[in-house]
Amino acid sequence: MQDISLHLLDIIENSVRADARHIKVRVIHDVPENLLRLIVEDDGCGMDSHTVEMAQNPFYTSKLEREKKVGLGIPLFKQNAEQCNGTFKMASEPGFGTVMTVDFQLDHIDRMPLGNLKDTLLGAIIGHQEIDFYVNLIYQNRCVQQSFLFDTAAIKEELGDIPLTYPDVIEYIDQSLYEGIQNTNMEDV
Amino acid sequence: MKTLADLKKIREKAQEEMKLRGGNVRMKIVVGMGTSGIAMGAREVMKTFLEEIANRNLTDVLVTQTGEKGLSSMEPVVDVIEDGKDKITYGNMSPEKVKKVVVEHIVNGRIVSDFVVATGN
Repeated sequence: MQDISLHLLDIIENSVRADARHIKVRVIHDVPENLLRLIVEDDGCGMDSHTVEMAQNPFYTSKLEREKKVGLGIPLFKQNAEQCNGTFKMASEPGFGTVMTVDFQLDHIDRMPLGNLKDTLLGAIIGHQEIDFYVNLIYQNRCVQQSFLFDTAAIKEELGDIPLTYPDVIEYIDQSLYEGIQNTNMEDV
Repeated sequence: MKTLADLKKIREKAQEEMKLRGGNVRMKIVVGMGTSGIAMGAREVMKTFLEEIANRNLTDVLVTQTGEKGLSSMEPVVDVIEDGKDKITYGNMSPEKVKKVVVEHIVNGRIVSDFVVATGN
């Protein structure tokens, strides 16, 4: 993976496979704290503590051995965070869901860039119409705080039976995310 | 700034159109978004499908994402599913190939056999 937003997409797909109905994505760009934090929270099937442990092992996969022998998504993300003085935490409860918190040292020379957050979110939101996404981007500097909220439940309610793949809706979501990412300085992080 | 009022307009326009042609989904596109797919550029493939749909105003096509399916060596992988026809699986996709598939297959109904890696289930 070349950037954090690609890892985010991978993590979102994990939540989808866990049958989540709601996925909450928070990205915090905190300059005074020298921190770039990503939090993904879902209400999927969750994992017991043993599975949480195993999921961080590259030779563990929840799929059949016939299909796939390794599970690199989580281990690679963990490695990429820890390589640059960051931390990777995963908490889960069977039946309740999973929360993943990944911290990066903002100014670490080896930190991978955040990358194209907009395309990650756009694809995930439109590619999983059945799931409600709640996106919160926060930029914090010494004297300013900028926050962007995007809740797909409100959009779906407004649209009624019009699918998110309707051309004008794609443009609407694309444009909204673009503006939010600009306003919270998430573009070239 | 985009507001919910903009959505109301979109909804009215879309409902008018649906009255004219009926609200069916003609084709479903499924982009493989597992770890290996993402590493090989599946996000850009997804993005290009969405762009093409918006630019060509294709209102009867649905795009979704799915996990890994055991075709890791041919990622990014895309399925095109149409009612009453065999499922077509395209492999080693790129934004350029997506544009071709949209023009040939999605719009004109001609399968791009050069990119096909599997058919049926």
